[in-house]
Amino acid sequence: MNVRQHLHLFMVILCLFAFALAGAADVGPTYAIRKAKIVPVSGPVIEKGSIIIRDGLIEAVGPVDKVTIPEDAEVIEAEGLIAYPGLISAHTNLFLEEPTPARTAETPPGPAELIMGGAVQAQPAQTADLMIFKQLKPKKTTLDGFLKIGFTTVLVAPNRGIFQGQSVVVNLNGEKAETMVVKNPLALHINFTTTRGGYPSSLMGTIAYIRQSFLDADHYANAQTLYAKNSKGMKRPEFDPFLETLLPYLRDKKSVIFQCNDLEDIKRALKIIDEFKLKAMLTHANEAWRAAAVLKKTPIPLLVTLDFRPPNGSMYVNQGEDLKKKAETEIYPANAANLVKEGLRFALTTFGLNDGSTALKNIQSAIKAGLPKEEALKALTIQPAQYLGLAQQLGSLEPGKIANVILTKGELFDEKTQVEKVFVDGILWKF
Amino acid sequence: MNKTIRILLTSAVVLALAALPVFSSGGNLLIKNGTILTVTKGIIAKGDILVLNGIIKQVGQDIQAPAGVQVIDATGKYVIPGIIDSHTHIALDGTNEGSEAITPEADVGEVVNADDTAILTALSGGVTMVHTMHGSANPIGGPNVVLKMKWGRPSEELIVHEALRTLKFALGENVKQSSRTITVGGPPPRYPQTRMGTNAIIRRELLKAKVYMEEWDRYNKLKASKTPPKNLLPPGKDLRMEVLSDLLRGRMVARCHDYQATEALEFMGLAKEFGFKVQAFEHAWEAYKIAAELAAAKIGISVFADSWAYKMEAAEGIAYDAGYCAKKGVLVSINSDSGERIRRLFNEASKTMKYGGLNETEALSLVTINPAIQLGVDRIVGSLEVGKQADIAIFNEHPMSSYTRCDMTIIDGDVYFDRGQYLKEREEAAKQAQASKKGGRP
Repeated sequence: MNVRQHLHLFMVILCLFAFALAGAADVGPTYAIRKAKIVPVSGPVIEKGSIIIRDGLIEAVGPVDKVTIPEDAEVIEAEGLIAYPGLISAHTNLFLEEPTPARTAETPPGPAELIMGGAVQAQPAQTADLMIFKQLKPKKTTLDGFLKIGFTTVLVAPNRGIFQGQSVVVNLNGEKAETMVVKNPLALHINFTTTRGGYPSSLMGTIAYIRQSFLDADHYANAQTLYAKNSKGMKRPEFDPFLETLLPYLRDKKSVIFQCNDLEDIKRALKIIDEFKLKAMLTHANEAWRAAAVLKKTPIPLLVTLDFRPPNGSMYVNQGEDLKKKAETEIYPANAANLVKEGLRFALTTFGLNDGSTALKNIQSAIKAGLPKEEALKALTIQPAQYLGLAQQLGSLEPGKIANVILTKGELFDEKTQVEKVFVDGILWKF
Repeated sequence: MNKTIRILLTSAVVLALAALPVFSSGGNLLIKNGTILTVTKGIIAKGDILVLNGIIKQVGQDIQAPAGVQVIDATGKYVIPGIIDSHTHIALDGTNEGSEAITPEADVGEVVNADDTAILTALSGGVTMVHTMHGSANPIGGPNVVLKMKWGRPSEELIVHEALRTLKFALGENVKQSSRTITVGGPPPRYPQTRMGTNAIIRRELLKAKVYMEEWDRYNKLKASKTPPKNLLPPGKDLRMEVLSDLLRGRMVARCHDYQATEALEFMGLAKEFGFKVQAFEHAWEAYKIAAELAAAKIGISVFADSWAYKMEAAEGIAYDAGYCAKKGVLVSINSDSGERIRRLFNEASKTMKYGGLNETEALSLVTINPAIQLGVDRIVGSLEVGKQADIAIFNEHPMSSYTRCDMTIIDGDVYFDRGQYLKEREEAAKQAQASKKGGRP
């Protein structure tokens, strides 16, 4: 064997080694959860069953006698534990850097601007094209806090401006954003808020601004279409990056999520959605029960927050501390329960809550206020999965779905219940 | 504040929230044996009003209640049309889009807040309808909205669609000061900073609106032609210009905040030049100087009674403004412009009897039929006449007396405020609160 042959052999071995390495990284572990009580959400409860997890997915779910434990599986004895699908929060602002403090002073305009007259105004920050994925900074403490109460998937949305930007859905499987992503972008987020130091400075201005933006986008799209058809002999329309970003939402019916901070925002959003024929969802919505009549007439996916703080303009906050307290502890926690009574569907979210323990406490408050436990479970699993277009992958314990599984001691959401084990993307999370 | 009073107040409002309207008659009731001040059809002593399905069916004497119709005994009381406030800013989430000078796209009808407790305050003063307006920070503010004070009902049920569509304009100091003010983190200073600038910017925007309208007209014409050009693109729709076009096409009327006679005349000049209708000047402290011009142009005024000289531009205001102008044939209303004064508009109106020498009915007209005419709703409210909507207030004494108070307020035949029941509930709530405090509950 000459040197050349040696080299060949070496190369082959090297290649094989590299393949082996790559393989090891790509194939996740195999687990067999045995003798657990299984609540698949999508089907009846299995009193004693097994779940096989292989390479990030659920391979099998069923009664113990129907599921064969694979030889290569790490067996997890789960007698006395209950298995649920991992919980989903369909709206959060987790993992974002703290917002920079608002500008404290406006630079006065020069005399030239004043002489020019009229609208010497900064345009509102148009961050519609912001992909919040790029700003994710996952932190282990936050991850742990949410995983400990059973959340395995969250939607992260931008939180500033009127056209806020585009959200992402992530699995809480670690601290690397790329690995976490389930779907990006998920939706365009719009909030009925105002701009400091510029137009619009009032809610009515904001409503007009949102409407005008969609009108502009519509006109822009018409111009583009016409130009594409007859480019010769037609002046080309000016490129507008903001309107460009709105096009898929206006024309291709990608999802828009409106943040509805009070009852009136819900009606406002519904009007705009109808006007521009948007495909949309409503989030925040902690006064949704007050809009039940309207929502029954116009069914729309509701992402209802577990944040029970009444909106600023609410009649419950301007009439003394007693009523305000009652609002936070009794009236607003009953939002979800009232929606169930009205026969309305919804997903629950942790929007506005930045730590897991408050989220759990508030789920318990909602249940105490009359929300049936099984409805709470649906609203945190299969319902958000459907709304987010992820029902093939998430929201229940079924073969083929992503292996986001939690094992609890005691029924989920009960005061003393502990989440014992959490699997995210088929990997057992170490707290 | 005394603790007991505080508890009393808190519980009062809480209670008010819980039980509304005070009782629902289903829009059917008979008011018996009161002194009826119809405003437009004289006074009926010991009179009755029959309301069916929210509409006044009969006004007269000895009317018998049909089966199942609730009877309200008004013996010794005065029954008047519900009071109408022609200019206020209650029941809104936000008043001004002050970041720019020209904002007709900012419509207060989009931000009606039915949770505002000022609605309840208004009811306690017999007010059944308000014209709630964009603020006066901008030369051209935005569209206003007319609401019925249906406390406890959803916002969309408050809006009176029969009313004229009105657009707020503003002249004078408020506009100037809003342009000048630099608040920390607030909007930068803006044009205009003078009265001449205000006039100029309004003209400029109206000219723009004309161009906009022409652009659409041209497009529509081409589109309708036999051979429309293949590259024909509709102009972009501009909400700001759409509203101004509506004004210029006569689909809206102007309501213009003004203090001084000179600026009012200038604005009337603009209206003439562009052919739009000025329905009323707001505050109009110097209207008495141009009463003849206003009457000739059929422009009304909506004013305060006697609170002049609170700032320089109001220095030449006089308490006789309203009464004098009314006698000169100007359509006058007295407004509140406030969530507090709104509960005593009847007192304000009565001041024109002292200043200006109006009689009782003329004075009462300033807060009933006159604002109804200004808002274009006199077909449906503003007086007690058969066929009108049953918006009614019941007072214990003549509403133009200084000693009067409103005891009951009715909208569309439903009782939204009943002082007797309200006080009773308030007392009970106070007792309960006291008891629970003593019981040592946390």
